[in-house]
Order: sequence, then structure tokens, then C-alpha cells
Amino acid sequence: MFLKTDPGKVTEKMRVLVIVPAYNEQNNITAAINSINNAAASLKDEIEYLVVDDCSRDGTLGILREGKRNYISLPVNLGIGGGVQSGYLYALENCFDVAVQIDGDGQHDPFYLDNVLDPIRKDEADVVIGSRFLNGDGFQSSALRRIGIKFLSGVIGCVCGVKIKDVTSGFRAVNHKGISFFAHNYAQDYPEPEAIVMCAKKKFRIKEVPVIMKERQGGESSISPMRSVYYMIKVTIAVVFAAFLRI
Amino acid sequence: MNTFFNALALAVIAIYMVLILYLLRMKKLYLKYALLWLLTGGVMVVLVLFPQLLQWFFVLCGIEVFSNGLFAVLVFFILLILLALTSIVSNLSERNRRLTQIIALLEKRVRELEDKENEQIQR
Repeated sequence: MFLKTDPGKVTEKMRVLVIVPAYNEQNNITAAINSINNAAASLKDEIEYLVVDDCSRDGTLGILREGKRNYISLPVNLGIGGGVQSGYLYALENCFDVAVQIDGDGQHDPFYLDNVLDPIRKDEADVVIGSRFLNGDGFQSSALRRIGIKFLSGVIGCVCGVKIKDVTSGFRAVNHKGISFFAHNYAQDYPEPEAIVMCAKKKFRIKEVPVIMKERQGGESSISPMRSVYYMIKVTIAVVFAAFLRI
Repeated sequence: MNTFFNALALAVIAIYMVLILYLLRMKKLYLKYALLWLLTGGVMVVLVLFPQLLQWFFVLCGIEVFSNGLFAVLVFFILLILLALTSIVSNLSERNRRLTQIIALLEKRVRELEDKENEQIQR
């Protein structure tokens, strides 16, 4: 594939794709898009967003269509991993320098876009993770979840030797190298922690930067409390196995 | 083992093989997935005709009760086939996912082209 920009070159102005995975987010999606556009206006980079509608059953698609938003709509539900991966595929096909993931439910504030973009702009990292725990400001999640995240963080540290505090954060930015890797290899079920292990295996430089997250604005979380225990077991196994995956 | 039992076993295996061949002929089953089933049928025929083979094998493994050994072999084969099926399903869902993603990307391009065309017509 031919590239419009030289991926290795750090230019002053980066082309950034903000990937917004959305599943049944009719109440949040417009606000999420507006705040991305607001944040983009204050940045010197060329920022575009792409909403990935994962076959929502509510009015999300209608809102996107009527508002003439930049979106793709998956014909069958793939789950968060497959949805986000389509965004990376789009970024790869359209030669973006950087791709940023931001959840469509309003938890991630695009105001902090510059924080996650900065290490990539300076070529200090290939993968940047926006972390709510580095400074400890803003919404910190429930105590039980924090314990779970701490445990997962420890497991990931053991299997691949990277110290990341907020392993489940879906607020992350990757450079061109990361885009082409994720477009072809992306964990499917609960992809955030697994992606860290795979990036560590690829010897990508991973950096965590502080951001402030909000409590979700509406809609339902993809992980209900009932499934939390199952989630923990599954992710732990997935993370350990990811360390043995051939990539 | 008596001859009647042997004949019955062979008849059942024959029905089983004919069923597989029928499904293959009607293209309801791909040959590459049926190979394991045909192999199982072949093994069963050999064991019915020469049960002393299995007996010899069980003695070698230290299995005293013949039927226990038979069940163990059976479970092993079923596990093998199930594993093959799971691997096939994983492969299918992988392909399915990529297709879905590409369709979504193409749908976006078609939609944008149509919008552009409509704009030109209106002008």
C-alpha cells in the first residue's frame, strides 16, 4: 500500500484519527462528537473522528446518519475489540499518522487529547495510555474495580515486564507503527489489557500519561457487575496466554 | 466375541459410513472436515475385525477391564473431533470479523460517493 505521508517522519502537524466505538450510545454520542470537535479546534494537529457503530439496537445509527457524522456502521455486532479494530483498519487505509481511541460514553474527556498525543509527537512512545491513576484526580472507579485493575496490572507486569497502572483504560493513542499492528492483530473480547501485553511483545515503547476521567454519562457499561468475576478470570487467562502468542 | 455381535457392529459402522458418504455427495459436508470422521469409521472396522489388537494394547497399558479401555479410547476420539471443530469455528469467526469490518468500510465509501452524486445532481 502506498502512503501519503512518511510514517517514520515526525512532522509538525500530525493527521490524527479519533476512533469512537459506540454501542447503544444514543444519549451520549452527539455530546462526545461535539467535545472532540471542540478539543480539536484548540490543537494544531489535523484531527478527524470516526464513530464505529457496533450494530447498536437503539437510535445511535439514526443520529449519526441524520447528523451526517463521519461514521462506519458494522452490519453485525463484533464487540469492542472488532469495533475498535475496524477503526484502526480505517486509519491504516486512509494513512493517518496517529490513532486515538476514545469511548463514546463520555468517560474520556477529549480535552486531554493533547496529553496522549504529546509523547507521540515527540517520538517518545509508540503507544500512549491515558491513565486515571497517575495523578489520582477525577473519577477513580469503585474500590472493587480498583483492586481488580491493580491485580491485572501486577499480572501484566509479571508476564511482560511493563509497569502500567491503568491497564483497562480505553483512552489510548498509537503512532503509525501501532496502527498497522492493531489493524491486523487486535484482541477481541476485553482487548485493553491484552493489547498492552502484545505491544510489549512487539517491543513498542509504551508510556502512561495522566488524564482525568468522568463517570459514564449514560447508557450501560459493557461490563456489568454480575460479569465482573468472570471478566477477571477470563482477562487474567487471556493476558497470560497473550504472552505466549506468536505475533 | 460371537459372530452375531460382530455382524451387528459391522452393519452399524456401514450405516455410519454410508451416512458420511451421503452427506459428502450432497455437499452438506466438506471432505476436509469429514476425513476425521471417516478415519474413526476405519479404526472401528479394524477393531471389530481384530479385537485382539485392542486387547494387546490394553495389556500393554495395564488396563484390566476391557470396556474401560474402550470407553477411554472413545472419549479420546470425541475430544479430538471436538477440538478440531472448535478450531474450525475460531477460524470462521476470524474470517467473519474481517469481512464485517471490510463491509463497514466499503459501506462508508459507497455512502459518501452517493452523497456526492446527489449533490451534483441537485446543482
